Amino acid sequence: MSTLLTLAPEFASVVALPAADVPPSVPRADFSDTPIWLSAVKALLLFVFLLLNTLVVIWFERRVIGRMQNRPGPNRAGPFGLMQTLFDGLKSLFKEDVKPAAADAFLFTLAPILFATMAFVSFAIIPLGGTVNLFGHQTPLQLTDLSVAALLVLAVAGVAAYGVILAGWSSGSTYPLLGGLRSTAQVISYEIAMGLALVAVFLYSGSMSTSQIVEAQRNLWYIVPAFISFVVYVITMVGETNRIPFDLAEGEGELVAGYHTEYSGFRFAMYYLGEYINMFTVSALATTMFLGGWHAPLPFNLIGDGYFDSGWWGLLWFTIKMWLFMFFFVWLRGTLPRTRYDQFMAFGWKLLIPGTLLWVMAVAFIRGAQLGFLGDSSIAIAGREIPIATLIVIGVLLVAVLVVLWLWETKMTEREEAAAKAADVPEEIDPYAGGYPVPPLPGQRLREPSTYPALPRAGATATVVDTPTVENKEA
Amino acid sequence: MGYGIEEKLPSGILLSSVEEIVGLSHKSSMWPVTFGLACCAIEMMAVGGPHYDIARFGMERFSASPRQADLMIVAGRVSQKMAPVVRQVYDQMANPKWVISMGVCASSGGMFNNYAIVQGVDHIIPVDIYLPGCPPRPEMLLNAIVQLHKEKVRHRPLGANRAAAAKRAEEAAMAAVPTQLQPATHDHGGYVGKNLLA
Amino acid sequence: MIDNPYVPLLFFMTLGLLFAAGSVGAGQLIGPKKANAAKAMPYECGLQPSPKAEEGGRVPIKYYLTAMLFIIFDVESLFLFPFAVAFNQLGLFALVEMVLFVITVFVAYAYVWRRGGLNWD
Repeated sequence: MSTLLTLAPEFASVVALPAADVPPSVPRADFSDTPIWLSAVKALLLFVFLLLNTLVVIWFERRVIGRMQNRPGPNRAGPFGLMQTLFDGLKSLFKEDVKPAAADAFLFTLAPILFATMAFVSFAIIPLGGTVNLFGHQTPLQLTDLSVAALLVLAVAGVAAYGVILAGWSSGSTYPLLGGLRSTAQVISYEIAMGLALVAVFLYSGSMSTSQIVEAQRNLWYIVPAFISFVVYVITMVGETNRIPFDLAEGEGELVAGYHTEYSGFRFAMYYLGEYINMFTVSALATTMFLGGWHAPLPFNLIGDGYFDSGWWGLLWFTIKMWLFMFFFVWLRGTLPRTRYDQFMAFGWKLLIPGTLLWVMAVAFIRGAQLGFLGDSSIAIAGREIPIATLIVIGVLLVAVLVVLWLWETKMTEREEAAAKAADVPEEIDPYAGGYPVPPLPGQRLREPSTYPALPRAGATATVVDTPTVENKEA
Repeated sequence: MGYGIEEKLPSGILLSSVEEIVGLSHKSSMWPVTFGLACCAIEMMAVGGPHYDIARFGMERFSASPRQADLMIVAGRVSQKMAPVVRQVYDQMANPKWVISMGVCASSGGMFNNYAIVQGVDHIIPVDIYLPGCPPRPEMLLNAIVQLHKEKVRHRPLGANRAAAAKRAEEAAMAAVPTQLQPATHDHGGYVGKNLLA
Repeated sequence: MIDNPYVPLLFFMTLGLLFAAGSVGAGQLIGPKKANAAKAMPYECGLQPSPKAEEGGRVPIKYYLTAMLFIIFDVESLFLFPFAVAFNQLGLFALVEMVLFVITVFVAYAYVWRRGGLNWD
């Protein structure tokens, strides 16, 4: 070991990294005054919060889509149709629960339970607000915080994929099987890009603990320095939750209802519920990672020495931000048609994954320059000390982006020219050139076949159907 | 043949309350199966549009899978070839389920008085509401849906009440006077010897 | 007061599990049960269902390939997470190492792309 260390001094410096070297980072949420019974109570409150949100969001979605399509939307069940979701759930309860004969009895029941349970779990690590006084104890509005909290969300999303694939497989039917496979392939493909997008946030925060990430955004939300990550995350969260325009697993025209085709009654309601809770989870994670979590937006955090930026007020800001994402989901559904599966996969694998990877490396360089890894000299611009290395890295990145844009534009221009050339049509066509009647294209004149000799072979283009046999006959 | 525990309650205020909740929830959230056979289906789709908006009744969630559907709108003529498919889809729907026979062709064969068309979908599946028209206007479909809610869904008797209702209907049928013995509702004599087509 | 931060997580998961299992169980008790032969068949748009293939049948190879590629990139992000978290303490050495690692991954990625592994058809 010692010889190895002498051989590679840099390695030695990493191994011998003293724990005291860790910079004093932002504090984590303090759970020291949270007795175990209070945790249980908080778990119950969070559970109720989630269920209430789900009850409202299904009604909200149907109403907002209705307004977007110039119609009222559900308005008969209760005031403004607010009871719609409740009646949907009750109806599912009073409905027959069908299990096809070919289904695997145990897994067919386990799959929806697994899916719904996993949908709930991720929310435990989301910070909903600051520290509040709850039953005489000072406790943060967060159920629990782990040093790998963000990783937990990705892991739970991976387990939830089992709920989908097991549902597809255990139904003993063709459409659910195909739907389940599609859905799983889709979820795991977009999970990579999602995880990579979050790496940029971890680079800035130096932590995976959600409370620390939120605290680190007190002054600057990560949507600004990690904007591309935010865009990628928003795209992948739609793919991850199987929502329009990426709801290919449930494409009615091709797969009936996807993996839950054979599900009815309350087993189906579990999927219905789980889907919406998953939407809340990814929205809450987006809020936590990029929009400063429960911190107040700009004008409010300056008022009254941060009065609006603490305690229960955090819950308000958090809920507003999370619901903005929910509105975005609904807006997408009201606007976009479904994508094609190959396009969807190509987009994920050929653009999102390499693009995000490059972006993460760029962030690593910017961050390295900020931390002084690439040299300590700095220059004063407009009164602010900016490391020269940061400027160099940003300059190099800008040049790289410009070069890529230039190459791309050159390629597109070439392609356009080629297309224009291919679409070049002759002024006159012989409508019976190939023995079949061919209508003239816009701007073309018809050549009367009886009065003119047939066009020479060289003049024939793609627009003229010509078959060799007819050509021979005429010759 | 089996019923859930909600139907095994003794007849009384408890059962009527359960009936009330079940009826209200089924009425408020009745998902039709995505299913159109012919031209009436176009009118059915129009019902989903902004002008008529079936979503007001919580019914815009057309269910692609019959397992999750409550209502089958037979929209269009049922050809002999399609009949087994219609029957299969109906059979695969989870109970409770309702059927609207939309348009005159689905109800009685309509203009297609020939060998290729089933002369009324009630030959193959039980129908709750017959909706005339060729094709019916979307308003008429909405009316049929409202009538279905009112007559068959909202106050559907359960358990002991269901048995009692069935018994009452049976007794009423037994006590009814046969049509032949009933007095004529209008006079046919006035038309005797007249050419009604002239 | 709680030493282990996973205990509240366990509470929450238990709540979720109880809710899901309880309501699915209630769904079994409540609601009519009227079996018929057609209802027990798989749904295939009202047609006769295709017979179930032996041993679960075959699935397109593309899904298998996607799963393999997923493993590659998932392991890659597995390296990136600790790298990102400990970046402040690691310094230039880790940055250079990670650049080399990502270049290696991109070589494999380019190979897969050229061989058509990323084309869905």
